[in-house]
Amino acid sequence: MKKLIYSLMFLLTLSTFAFAGGSQESKSSEDTKVEAPKEVKEIYCWHAFSDAPRSKWIQDRADEFNATQSDFKVVVEAKGSYRDTLQAAVLADKQGAAPHIVQVFEVGSQLAFDTGIFKPIGEIGSFDTDDYIQPVLNYYTLNGKVNSIPFNSSSPILYINKDKLVEAGYDADYVPETFSDVIELLETAKSKGVEGAKFSFCLHGWYFEQWMSEQGAEMVNNGNGRDARATETMLNSPAAMKIGEFVSELASKDLYTYTGKFEDWDGNDAIFAEGKALLHMTSTADLGNIAAACEGKFDMGVGFIPIPDGSERNGTVIGGASVWIAKNHPADELEAARDFVLYMTNTENMVSWHKLTGYYPVRNSSVEALKEEGWFDTDAKQLVAFNQLLSTKINKATAGAVAGTLLDNRTIIEEALQKIIQGADVKASLDEAKEISDAKLDEYNANF
Amino acid sequence: MSNNNDNAVFSGRWQIIALLLPTIFILVVFLYFPAWHSILMSFFRNNLFLGTRNFIGFENFKNLFIGPFAPAFIQSFFQTIVLGLLTVVIGLSLSLFLSYQANKNIKGAKIYRMLLIWPFAMSPAVAGTIFLFIFNPEVGVMNNLLEYLFSVKPRWLDSPILALMLVTFATVWKNLGYNIVFYLAAFQNISTEPLEAADIDGAGPFRKFFYILLPLLSPTTFFLLFTNLSYAFFETFGLIDILTSGGPVGPPGILDNTGITTTLMYKVFSDGFGGSSNMGFAAAEGFILLIMVGVFAYFQFRSMGKRVHYQG
Repeated sequence: MKKLIYSLMFLLTLSTFAFAGGSQESKSSEDTKVEAPKEVKEIYCWHAFSDAPRSKWIQDRADEFNATQSDFKVVVEAKGSYRDTLQAAVLADKQGAAPHIVQVFEVGSQLAFDTGIFKPIGEIGSFDTDDYIQPVLNYYTLNGKVNSIPFNSSSPILYINKDKLVEAGYDADYVPETFSDVIELLETAKSKGVEGAKFSFCLHGWYFEQWMSEQGAEMVNNGNGRDARATETMLNSPAAMKIGEFVSELASKDLYTYTGKFEDWDGNDAIFAEGKALLHMTSTADLGNIAAACEGKFDMGVGFIPIPDGSERNGTVIGGASVWIAKNHPADELEAARDFVLYMTNTENMVSWHKLTGYYPVRNSSVEALKEEGWFDTDAKQLVAFNQLLSTKINKATAGAVAGTLLDNRTIIEEALQKIIQGADVKASLDEAKEISDAKLDEYNANF
Repeated sequence: MSNNNDNAVFSGRWQIIALLLPTIFILVVFLYFPAWHSILMSFFRNNLFLGTRNFIGFENFKNLFIGPFAPAFIQSFFQTIVLGLLTVVIGLSLSLFLSYQANKNIKGAKIYRMLLIWPFAMSPAVAGTIFLFIFNPEVGVMNNLLEYLFSVKPRWLDSPILALMLVTFATVWKNLGYNIVFYLAAFQNISTEPLEAADIDGAGPFRKFFYILLPLLSPTTFFLLFTNLSYAFFETFGLIDILTSGGPVGPPGILDNTGITTTLMYKVFSDGFGGSSNMGFAAAEGFILLIMVGVFAYFQFRSMGKRVHYQG
């Protein structure tokens, strides 16, 4: 009996090997897919939105595009975070199964470029990019070529608790223009006993980048990495010192608050929305959410972000993402992919994208259409964001840095700023940040 | 097992090998091969995005101990040990105490037991998010309460000591259920005879606990010691990522080279998959972590294995 049981188990074990490959079923279905008559070619589009409204918007555009012609079928897939999406695309390309269209976040531009799996979209036939808002397109133009088409773009704006502003004795429409205005406003409010006389932006390297750009200062050398591969960071430049000193002053005078966690967008939004801070700073894309969260609690206003004293407002850098086209595909598929990208970012679609999400419509014609429609009259707060973007000067600082280690850079900046908040010397902290960041950059550049 | 063939369940060597094959296959494919691969990788300059693979010998290891990356690595190395020890010591003593109490014959004991075990069923992501909400310094429930009662608002997430305490607490709490299940089972397996004998001899509850229960529980403790240590090393990643993102950096001058809750596991991840994805460097860190766990395991089995008392 025992023997029988054991031999049965043995057989069972052996039989599992037959399925150990695990791909029996999927393989056969893939085979049929490949062997099926190829009337309709599939165009894969990978994006990084995990939420229903935004992914549905993209799916809807794909459905519309598919209905307009019968040669190609755009297949939309969400691939997790921006990082995951890019990593997945790189791995897929190695296996010869790269998607056609990939959404890449702005600081990943150099990484995406260096992977070598993409083709500058400007090289796929000829098409007109004049209508794209220049500062936005600027970010994604590398070596004079349009590499990718901007899709979801945003920049930071200042959020103000107007109730507290009035309580501090200021006019309800007052917007602090410079760092010292901010300090003065918060100190006045504090001395008048206003609860939460604080600035509550989350501890994120993105703001550091913005403040560098506002001063016309570059983050990395070689023309912000746009003339040649960056080899050095500017984390302890005079412009950087101004930012460090501002944060240091805010913290030492107890005028700054945050959750304590790096890059904690939601936690810091909650601090502002619960009325625990007078000033807040976050992306324009959050305007809708924060306005809704403040509704009924206090009167919320917005303005341009404050800039360092004595510098001329140079403009913010674009945040968000753009869409790239992977190169290892036949020419007709590349053109179809390009056509879909252009369709997705056409005038009407960017209008509806903006209304849905708060991201900038990346076309001038979309902005015009919104103006004609009276969209900005009903929601004047959105206009502040636009004006800040449209008044951005076109230069290498506002074009944004490109370097392989921008993400490491953010972490290093955040650690340095946190040290400064805890009372460390500004110069020493930024010097150390630069040393580490340069070493990271060297390490990355050594790959080439 | 003896070599006596009459007693052997399995008749031949080949049968044994055949039965072991599936396990060995899984171990090789999912454990040994990846481990070997990552050890090899630590000798290369390897970037995940670029797919580069240049042999650089021991440079990744050198960078761990010399140069600008070294202070952060060395700090996180010691933090890993500290967090590991705190988790094991606090976690095991607390769960031993709680399961001792929950094992008593009292009304509603089953409900207590269930409630004690329940946190284990929660995913680290959910647990981390809940803690994050509770301990938000400005709008969290904890500080609202503390401000109302004592007018203090501790900075839970960016004061180094508090952040470390919070992460330790969350880690211990999250794994409490697991430990309690094992201790409860162990308590219920202990026969009453030695305890009755002790009663007759006039031993107090203290003596009974330390001289009878504790030794009888030692096999379970020994097992839990290792599982908890590996939990603290490897599985706290999710909690840390969501709760502190590895921060905060320590006070100026001391432990300010990296976040105070950046364990080696977290650092391996953030160097290898975060930032510019320097996989070779991360693999070198992983190799050190592997050695560290190996050393712990060796000492544990050598020193503890002798003292463990297996009943019956």
